Amino acid sequence: MALTHEDVVSILKIIDESPYNEVRLEIGDLKLHVSRHGSGCAAAAAQPLPQTIESPVPPAPKSPPPAQAVPASVAPQQQQSAVPTVAAESQIHEGLVVVRAPMLGTFYRAPSPGEPPFVEVGDRVGTDDTVCLVEVMKLFNSVKAGVDGTVVKIAVENGSMVEHGQVLVLIESDQHTTHAAVQ
Amino acid sequence: MSDKRVITRLFVANRGEIAVRLINACRKLGIATVIGVSEADRDSLGAKLADRAVCIGPAPAAQSYLRMETVVTAAVGTGCQALHPGYGFLAERAALARLCAEHDIIFVGPSPNAIDAMGDKLRARKLAAELGVPTVPGTDRVRSSDDLLEFGRRAGYPFLVKASAGGGGRGMRVVRTPQEAPAAFESASAEARAAFGDATLYIERYIERARHVEIQIIADAHGTVVHLGERDCSTQRRHQKLIEEAPSPVVDESLRIRMAQAAVELARHVSYTNAGTVEFIIDVDAGQFYFLEMNTRIQVEHPVTEAISGVDLVVEQIRVASGARLSFLQQDVRLSGHAIECRINAEIPERGFQPSPGLISMWRPPSGAGIRIDSHCYSGYFVPPFYDSMIGKLIVHGRDRSDAVARMREALAGFRIDGVSTTIPFHQAVLAHPDFVQNRVTTRWVENNLIPELHQAESVT
Repeated sequence: MALTHEDVVSILKIIDESPYNEVRLEIGDLKLHVSRHGSGCAAAAAQPLPQTIESPVPPAPKSPPPAQAVPASVAPQQQQSAVPTVAAESQIHEGLVVVRAPMLGTFYRAPSPGEPPFVEVGDRVGTDDTVCLVEVMKLFNSVKAGVDGTVVKIAVENGSMVEHGQVLVLIESDQHTTHAAVQ
Repeated sequence: MSDKRVITRLFVANRGEIAVRLINACRKLGIATVIGVSEADRDSLGAKLADRAVCIGPAPAAQSYLRMETVVTAAVGTGCQALHPGYGFLAERAALARLCAEHDIIFVGPSPNAIDAMGDKLRARKLAAELGVPTVPGTDRVRSSDDLLEFGRRAGYPFLVKASAGGGGRGMRVVRTPQEAPAAFESASAEARAAFGDATLYIERYIERARHVEIQIIADAHGTVVHLGERDCSTQRRHQKLIEEAPSPVVDESLRIRMAQAAVELARHVSYTNAGTVEFIIDVDAGQFYFLEMNTRIQVEHPVTEAISGVDLVVEQIRVASGARLSFLQQDVRLSGHAIECRINAEIPERGFQPSPGLISMWRPPSGAGIRIDSHCYSGYFVPPFYDSMIGKLIVHGRDRSDAVARMREALAGFRIDGVSTTIPFHQAVLAHPDFVQNRVTTRWVENNLIPELHQAESVT
């Protein structure tokens, strides 16, 4: 019994979509052990996370945090690539929605240099609102909020290069707030 | 173009073993590296060894490694002065070389014009013919299956229909009878259009018994073009090279000089810079060589040339790209001994070489004098199903061919890979076969002789 290309793709997909970190599969003589952590296996399942998210973000968007709460971005030249770990993801609490870069490119907070930013920390946003742009070779891709809520953090400095999948903006979802209030 | 520019940081626009090879060459030169990786390659050896890794997109190559705008944006954004494309992916796209130039990034490879001149096979054939380099008898562009029938009437069957933009056997068909002509024309042009966006086809005579021999050249921006002898890549399956060796056991000194002169002449004519390979086909029965095409990049099989010449081709590539002169001249080139390379693929040979990606639970390569392993694998590495199935190259260097063959047999026997099926047993069968040992292999030997023999042996036992 050997794995086909399709088998491996579907196994990876199952693991990717599951909340589990390890899968052990035994079919006859075939034993497959895939793990998200450790020795570099199941790389495809790993999600990126930049270093800027080091501690959980306080979920208190009622009073907007001061402007300097935007983390100072590290100069790209010195910045070491963040090794993504799924464990770090859990630090982002429930109800906080992460907006990621859909592609590698240059991050812009405003439609053009002279104009005000799309969003500031504390701003209310709707699902289809643009929160920033990612530019690749003069091609500007608008990034939507994807959720109704309040901007709690802008994780990247204007004009810096972002990797594919890098966290750009954190939004506290309205749904979660309502849900919590009911409780 | 002869200004010298300092390269302190280089962008590795590739993955797998060649990414590791490029990083090691940069380390030797004191150059920092940034690698662009897909999501599937975040934990790859290249990502670990480079000074920095940036994620350029999702696992499918079309959304990551093949996106030239993204790759160049990443190189600029990480402060690199140069970009090395490796082989495959974007390596032979003149557009990438142009995009790099627009963003003031040194492309480690030839000029866009040289890539264009050689990338169009019909144009390259014409150029070779103009320079008096023999080309396989054939035609200019063919526009319909009637042109094929016309050629068949005139020159006979079988013959090959090939894509002008082609490579790797794609957009190529053998036409054995007039009845096959219409279907061959349609399928070859459709395949060529799908794969290369260009359906232009031409005809070449079909050489029954051929050896594939190629000349390695390297040129700097100061007009120096040198060759490093030939490689023989006749052990192929469906136009995919499996084993390469240097020197070629069927090329004598006079043939070597003629082929090398033709290669150098061709390179000079297009003001070629950096490393390149001029491929020839040798008609074994006629004892004649023909120009096939030129590859405008570093080749997978470059280590066999490095083994017999002592030249680090990737280091020289980066040096000449920065505007430096080659570190040696033609008269300094000394070729010694014999080298063989086996491409180790994660494939199941007995099932039509079907890819077998998965977790490598044990990776223990052989070691010792005259053995080199170029690989990105390690125990615990997961071979992703999205890319090429090559997991490593095993290269041996011996005093002469029989010494190299003996070393390769020993090295293959000592190579332990658990968890995925590999082509090692297949290579052992080749190295043990009298046809390989006595140089009777042609480019169709694996398909016509070896595989049927192996199947027969299997059904007997």
